[in-house]
Amino acid sequence: MVDFSRVQKELQECNRDINVSGISVNPKSDNLTNLIGTIPGPIGTPYEGGTFKIDINLPDGYPFEPPKMKFATKVWHPNISSQSGAICLDILKDQWSPALTLKTALLSIQALLSAPEPDDPQDAVVAQQYLKDYQTFASTARYWTESFAKISSLGVEEKVQKLVEMGFPEGLVRSTLEVVGGDENMALEKLCSA
Amino acid sequence: MDSEDDMHDANDAESLDDDFYSGETAMDSDDGDAADYEFIDNDSDDSDDLLSRRSQQNYTILNESDIHLRQEDDIMKIASILSISNVAAAILLRHYNWSVSKVNDEWFADEEKVRRVVGLLEDPRALPNVKELTCGICFEVYSSDSMRSAACGHPFCVTCWQGYISTSINDGPGCLMLRCPDPSCSAAVGQDMIVSMASHEDTEKYQRYFLRSFVEDNRKTKWCPAPGCDYAVDFIVGGGTFDVTCGCSYSFCWNCTEEAHRPVDCDTVSKWIMKNSAESENMNWILANSKPCPKCKRPIEKNQGCMHITCTPPCKFEFCWLCLGAWSDHGERTGGFYACNRYEAAKQEGVYDDTEKRREMAKNSLERYTHYYERWATNQSSRQKALADLQQMQSIHLEKLSDRQGQPESQLKFITEAWLQIVECRRVLKWTYAYGYYLPEREHGKRQFFEYLQGEAESGLERLHQCAEKELQTYLTGGPSKDFNEFRMKLAGLTSVTRNYFENLVRALENGLSDVDGHGGSSRTGGTRSLGAGSSKSRGSRSKGAARSSRATDDSAHWSCEYCTFANAKSATVCQMCQQRR
Repeated sequence: MVDFSRVQKELQECNRDINVSGISVNPKSDNLTNLIGTIPGPIGTPYEGGTFKIDINLPDGYPFEPPKMKFATKVWHPNISSQSGAICLDILKDQWSPALTLKTALLSIQALLSAPEPDDPQDAVVAQQYLKDYQTFASTARYWTESFAKISSLGVEEKVQKLVEMGFPEGLVRSTLEVVGGDENMALEKLCSA
Repeated sequence: MDSEDDMHDANDAESLDDDFYSGETAMDSDDGDAADYEFIDNDSDDSDDLLSRRSQQNYTILNESDIHLRQEDDIMKIASILSISNVAAAILLRHYNWSVSKVNDEWFADEEKVRRVVGLLEDPRALPNVKELTCGICFEVYSSDSMRSAACGHPFCVTCWQGYISTSINDGPGCLMLRCPDPSCSAAVGQDMIVSMASHEDTEKYQRYFLRSFVEDNRKTKWCPAPGCDYAVDFIVGGGTFDVTCGCSYSFCWNCTEEAHRPVDCDTVSKWIMKNSAESENMNWILANSKPCPKCKRPIEKNQGCMHITCTPPCKFEFCWLCLGAWSDHGERTGGFYACNRYEAAKQEGVYDDTEKRREMAKNSLERYTHYYERWATNQSSRQKALADLQQMQSIHLEKLSDRQGQPESQLKFITEAWLQIVECRRVLKWTYAYGYYLPEREHGKRQFFEYLQGEAESGLERLHQCAEKELQTYLTGGPSKDFNEFRMKLAGLTSVTRNYFENLVRALENGLSDVDGHGGSSRTGGTRSLGAGSSKSRGSRSKGAARSSRATDDSAHWSCEYCTFANAKSATVCQMCQQRR
C-alpha cells in the first residue's frame, strides 16, 4: 500500500518552496497514485524557458520501491526517449532509496537535463547526434522546447485572469491549468467539479 | 598369461589407470574358480561404496547442516583473525564470495579501503542525542528511543525500517548486502539488525538466502540439480572429469550442472537440450523475449529503459542488450553504443545471420533430428527402467536369490555391479546419439567408424542386459544349481568386458575420434578394428604401460598420459583428456 501520509507531506513540502525551485508536484486524479510533476528547463541549456511535465505513477511499495516517471512533454535529450518519454536514470531503477523523495527525483531529472550522459543513452539517435554534431543537437532540442514545452505559456496570464474573475482562487487556478496542460476549458471543467 | 588377474583389475574400479584393453581376455576365460571371487568380495565389503568407488573423489557432498557448519566455521575464523564481530565477518565474507583467504589478503593489504567498500564503519555512531527525531523516510517525528539506525547513526523509525527490510528481502538475495537507506551513506546493515526487525516469514527467507549464498556465490560449491535434492557439492577443480555423483545418487556434470554426459562435451549438451525443448512454448517465449545474462546465464526480460542492462544482485554484471558484451567495452573508444557498433559489425560479418540460417536448416532437417532424438529418449527410458530394476534387485531379489542358491548376499555383488554397469552404459549410449547428431555429415570416415562403434556398443550392452535380466530368472525360480558359479563367471565377465568397451568408447569419442584422419590412410580406419578386441595398437599400449619411462619416446607423434594413458598429440603440453601436465 502506498504510504499516503508521506505523499501528502511530500506534496506540501515540495509546493512550499515552489518559488525557489520551480518544481511542483500535483495529483492528477484524487487517489494520489497518479501525479504530475513540473520542472522548468535549466537556464543556459537548450531547454531554458520550457516547462516540462512528468508523469508520475506510484507503485504499491512506494516509498520502498521507486516511483515510475516519464516525460509527458516531448523532449530531445540523449537519456530520454524522444518517442515514449522514458527516462534512463539510475535512481529511478536500482539506485532508488526510500530516503529519496519525488522532489529529489525531479531535481535529479532536472540535473540530467543540464548534464546529459551520452555514454548511457536511452535514445540512440539523439545520443549519436549529441556526440557527433552538437550544434544540430542543440538547435533541435531548442526547437522541441519551443514547440512542445511552451504551448501553455502563451497567454497563460490572460487565462489565469479570466478564471480568477470567475471567482476561483489564483493559486488553484494556476495549479489546475498546469495539470491539464494549459487548456482553459478543461481547467474550468475541473475547477467546477472540484 | 593370467586372465584372472586382468579381470581383477577391471573389477577394481579404484585403479582407474589400469590397462583398459585388458577386458578382451577376460571374456575367453572359463576356468576361473570361486576362490578368486571370494578375494574380490573381501576386498570390497562395503556395498554402499559401489557408487562412489566408480569415480575419483575430487569432491565432497554436503548436506544442509554441513553447509551451516562450514559457513559458521568460516565466519568464526574471520571474526577471530580480524578481531571483529561475527556479523561484520559475515558481511565481509559475503562480499568476497566466501573466500576466507581473499578476505584475509584484502583486509591486511588495505583495511581502510575494505571497510569503505563493504560499508563497515570503524567508529559506530549512535543516534543524535536529542529527545525527538524526524524519520528520514516517512518524515514523522518520533521520540528518539523508538528510532533505529545502522552504525552510521542515520535515524529511521521502526515501521520504515521494517518496510525497507521487507521490500529488500522480497526483492531477492540483494538483501544480504543491505545498506543504510540514506542515499549518501554506504553503512552496511548487519544480520542482527535485520533479524531483530523482520517478520518471522521474512527472517526465514533471509536465512535461506544467507545459506544459499554460501553455496551459490562460492566458486567451489554448487547445488545438486536433482529435483528435491538439498545436497551441495564441494568440488576441487583440476584433474579428472567433472562428473559428480551426489548423495541422492544423481550423477551430474559439475561444470554445466546438466546430468552426467560423458562422452559429449558441455556445449553439445546445452545445444542438444535447447534443441529438445525448442518446440515447447516456454522456450519459445524465453527465446523471443529474453536473453541470458552473459555472465550468470539467468534469462533477463527487458521491459523498459536503455540498452545498458545491470543484472540483479549478486551478479550485477553490466552489459549491452544488443551485443551482450560487457558495458565496460562500450565507449567512445570502441565506436559507441548508441547503435552498438559491435552488433552492427557482427551483423555485417554475417555472425548473426549465420545463427538465423542455422536455425532454418535445423527446421529442414527435422527428420534427421527425430531419428537421433527417439534413440536418445529410448535409452533414457531404458536407463530409468534399469534403475528401477536395480532397486528392486537390491530390495527383493538378492535376498531371495541368496536363499535359493545358498549363497551369502556378500557373494552376490556381481549382480549389483552388472546392473550398475547397465545403468551407466545406457547413459553413455544415450549421449552418443547427441554426439552422432552433431557429428558433421561431411566426415564420412568418422561417421562410419562412429556408427560401427555405436552398433557394437548397442549389441554388447544387449548381451549384458539379456544375461542380467533373463538368465538370472532361472536361478531366482529354481533350486540350488551347480551352474550358478558358471553364471557368475559369465555375468561378471560380461560386465567387465562391457565396462571396458564403454570406457574406451567414451575416450574415443571425447578424443573426437582422432584415430580417423579424413583420408583414412592408416590401417586404423573405421570398421577395421573394434575397441574391445585386441589389435596391434592396443597391445602396443599395454607394453607401454609396463615400461612407463619409455612411453614418451615410444611413438614419435604421440605421448601417453601418465595418469589416464591417453595418447596426446606431441605438441600438447597438457593431457587433453584429464588435464594433467605432461
